[in-house]
Amino acid sequence: MSALACTVCIDLPKGWTVISSVRDYFNTGKHSLYLFIIPIVLYLIFFFLYPVIYEIYISFFDYSLGSPKTFIGLQNYVLMAHDVQFLHSLVTTVIFVVSAVGTELLFGLGIALLLNYESRLMNVIRTVILIPTVFTPLVAGLVWKALYNPDLGVISYYLRVLGIPIGRGLTVERSTALFSVILVDVWEWTPLIVIIILAGLKSLPREPYEAGVIDGASARQLFRYVTLPLLRPTIIVALLIRSMDALKIFDIIWAITGGGPGTSTTVANLRIFQVGVQQLRIGYASALSNVLLVMSVLVGVFFIHILYSKKYGGVR
Amino acid sequence: MYLWRKLVIVVTISTLVLGGFAVLGMSQEKPYKGIVLHMACMADQYANYLKVLGQKFEQVTGAKVNVDILGYTELYQKITQDYATHTKQYDLATTDIVWTGQFAKKGWTVDLKPLILRDYEQIGVPDILPVMWSEGSWNGKQIAFPLAGYANSLIYRKDLFNNLQEKAAFKAKYGYELRPPRTMKELADIATFFTRPKQGLYGLVANGARGPAVAQDWMEYMRAFGGQIIDSNGKVVVDSPQCLAALKFFVEIFDKWAPPGAIGYWWDDRETAYRTGRAVMEFSWSIARAGYENPSISRVVGKTGMAMTPSAPSVEPQFGFGGWGIAINADISPKRQAAAWAFIKWVTSPAIQREWMLHDGAPTRLSTLLDPELNAKMPWLHTMLKLFIDGNGNYRPRVPEYSRIQDILGLRINQAITHELTPEEALSKAAAEIKAIYGQ
Repeated sequence: MSALACTVCIDLPKGWTVISSVRDYFNTGKHSLYLFIIPIVLYLIFFFLYPVIYEIYISFFDYSLGSPKTFIGLQNYVLMAHDVQFLHSLVTTVIFVVSAVGTELLFGLGIALLLNYESRLMNVIRTVILIPTVFTPLVAGLVWKALYNPDLGVISYYLRVLGIPIGRGLTVERSTALFSVILVDVWEWTPLIVIIILAGLKSLPREPYEAGVIDGASARQLFRYVTLPLLRPTIIVALLIRSMDALKIFDIIWAITGGGPGTSTTVANLRIFQVGVQQLRIGYASALSNVLLVMSVLVGVFFIHILYSKKYGGVR
Repeated sequence: MYLWRKLVIVVTISTLVLGGFAVLGMSQEKPYKGIVLHMACMADQYANYLKVLGQKFEQVTGAKVNVDILGYTELYQKITQDYATHTKQYDLATTDIVWTGQFAKKGWTVDLKPLILRDYEQIGVPDILPVMWSEGSWNGKQIAFPLAGYANSLIYRKDLFNNLQEKAAFKAKYGYELRPPRTMKELADIATFFTRPKQGLYGLVANGARGPAVAQDWMEYMRAFGGQIIDSNGKVVVDSPQCLAALKFFVEIFDKWAPPGAIGYWWDDRETAYRTGRAVMEFSWSIARAGYENPSISRVVGKTGMAMTPSAPSVEPQFGFGGWGIAINADISPKRQAAAWAFIKWVTSPAIQREWMLHDGAPTRLSTLLDPELNAKMPWLHTMLKLFIDGNGNYRPRVPEYSRIQDILGLRINQAITHELTPEEALSKAAAEIKAIYGQ
C-alpha cells in the first residue's frame, strides 16, 4: 500500500496550504486510492448518470423540441401503456433479440469448435471470419438492402431461380421481413461470438479432458460434460454482450426496412426514434427510452446473476 | 522630354485614382464578401447544380453558399432540430410545401413578405406563377420563397401507347382507343392491359415504403378520387367514401399492376422502375421529367409522354402541385439574413433560373416556362404550364400538424397495401388518430 501511495505523491509549491493539505490527504495510505477512481467517477457522472437522470426527469413533462415544457406527472407513462404501436414494438424487440442472439450463439459455438485447432489455414480463416463485424451496421444494412432488393437483388434473383417462393420480396412481405433483418444481424455478429468462444476454448485446462479420455468418455460425452460446463461463463458473457446490444438494434433495420412493412420490423428503438427525432416529442420519447433502459438493465442483471450464482453452477 | 515626363506622371496618377475607384466600386458590388452561408438542400435532381450556383454566387456578391445535400427524412430532421434548438447550423434550407404550416406556427423562418414587397420590381413578382406562392404562404406570411415548382402528372410510355398492334389489341379487349387515361377506370384498364410479368413489364407503379413515400403517393390518388384529409371546416374526413375508394384503388396497384418490390419503393425506386422500362405508367413529379431523356440513367429516352393525371367521374380535375421553397433561418444575424435574401433573389432570378433549368432545375416563372429555347429542348414545358395554372398546392394539408398526419398515414396506408389491415380498418384508425391530434 505504501508503495502505491508513493506513486501518487504530489509536489506542490510551498505556501499553497489548501492544496498541500489535499496533497497530504492523498498521500496518506488508503486515501490515495480515491485518486485512481476520480476519473471514472467523473466520467460516469457526466456521461452516464446526468443523461439518465435528465431523461427520467424530462419523461415527466409534455415537451416537444422548441416548445415550453409542461409538467404532466406520469401521464407519458399512462399514454405509453395504451400505445399499441410501442407495445407491439416491444414484442418485436423481444422476438428479434431471442431469435438473433440464439442463432448467433448456436452458429458461434459450432464455428468456434470447428476452428479450434491450429494450422495456417485456421489462422487465415479466423481473420477472414471477422470481416462482417468490422462493417458499420448502417453500411451492412445498405449492402444487404441492395442484395435483398425484390426487383434487382442477387438474393431475390437466385431464390426465384431456385423456385423458392418469396412473394413480393423478402423484405417487403410481412411474413419474412423480420426474418430478413435477423439474418443480417446473425451475419454481422456471429463472428464476435465465435471469437469470444474461441478465446474461451483456448483457455480451457487440459486435465479434465485427459481424465475423461482415461475414463473412456466419447467425444460427444467430453463436449457435453466437460467442454460445455467449462465454457459456461464465456457463453454467458457472450450472451450478455450480444443481448444488451441487440436490444438497442436500430441501424440495420432502419437501413433495410425502415420499420416496415407495416409494423413488422418496428423494434422499440425505432419507435423511440420516430417519436423523439421525427416527431420531436422529447418528453414522451424519454418515457419510452426509460422502458428500454429498464429492459437492458434487467437482462444485464439476469445474466450476471446466472454467471455468479452457485445454484446455476456459477463462479461464486 | 519634359512633356513626356509630364504625361507619364499624369497617366500614373490617373491609373492609381481610377484603380482605387474600381476597387472601391468592386467592394460595393460585393457587399457580402467573406460571408459563408450554409444551406440544407433536398437531394432532388436540382440539387447538384444548386451547389454549383452556390459557389457562383461568390463571384457576384462575395458571399459563398455551401450546399449540403440531404435525403428527405434527414433534411426534415436536421433543419427542425436546428431551428428548435437555435443552433444556427443552416442559414438557408429548401422547405417542402407541406412543412409550411408547421414552420410558420413555430416562427422558425424569416417572414419574407416585407422583403418581397420592398423588392417587388427587382424580383419581378408578377412573373412568378400564382400557385408557386403556396410554397411558403401561411396566414398572411411568406415563410419561404418559391424555388422549385413541381407539377404532378401522369407519366406514360408514349411508344407503347402509339404502337399500332398494342392499340388494336387494347381496342379489341376494352372497346375504346388506347390513349392516356382520363378516368381512374381507364387507368385501371390500361394498367391491367400492360401488366405482363413474364416480359418484366408492369402497368402502373407507386411508392409503397412505409413513411412519407407511401403517404404522399396515396394522397395523389386521394386527390384524383376527390378525397380530402381535412375539409374546409377543419373536420377530419380521411375516412370518407372518396378516400376509401382511393385506398382500395391504391391497394390494387400493389396487388395487380406494380413490380413486386414496389411495396418497399421510395421516390427514387419508383423512378428507377420507370426509367429502366419496367413500369408503363406512374404519377410523378415534373422534376423527374428531364431524367427520362438522359441516356446515362434512362432506357426510355424519347419514349415518354406526360399528361394530366386522370380523375374519378364527377370529380373536377385538379392537378397536384408541390415542390420546394427556400427559407431563411430566423435565428441568424441580420447581416447573414441580408446575404441569404440576396442569394434567394439571385438564384430565383429569370437568368439564373433559365441556366438552372438546363441542369435539372425546376421552374417557378412564366418567362422560364415560355422561353423558346427551353421549350425546344424540353417540349413538355407547355404541359407543365397547364398543370401549374390549374394546380392545387393544398390537397396535402399544409397545416402545422402535417408531419404527424403524414406519420400516421405513412403507417396505416402501408398496413393496407401489405394487407395487415383492410382499407376500411386502415382509414378508420388513421381518422381516429388524426382526430385525436385535433381533439375531435
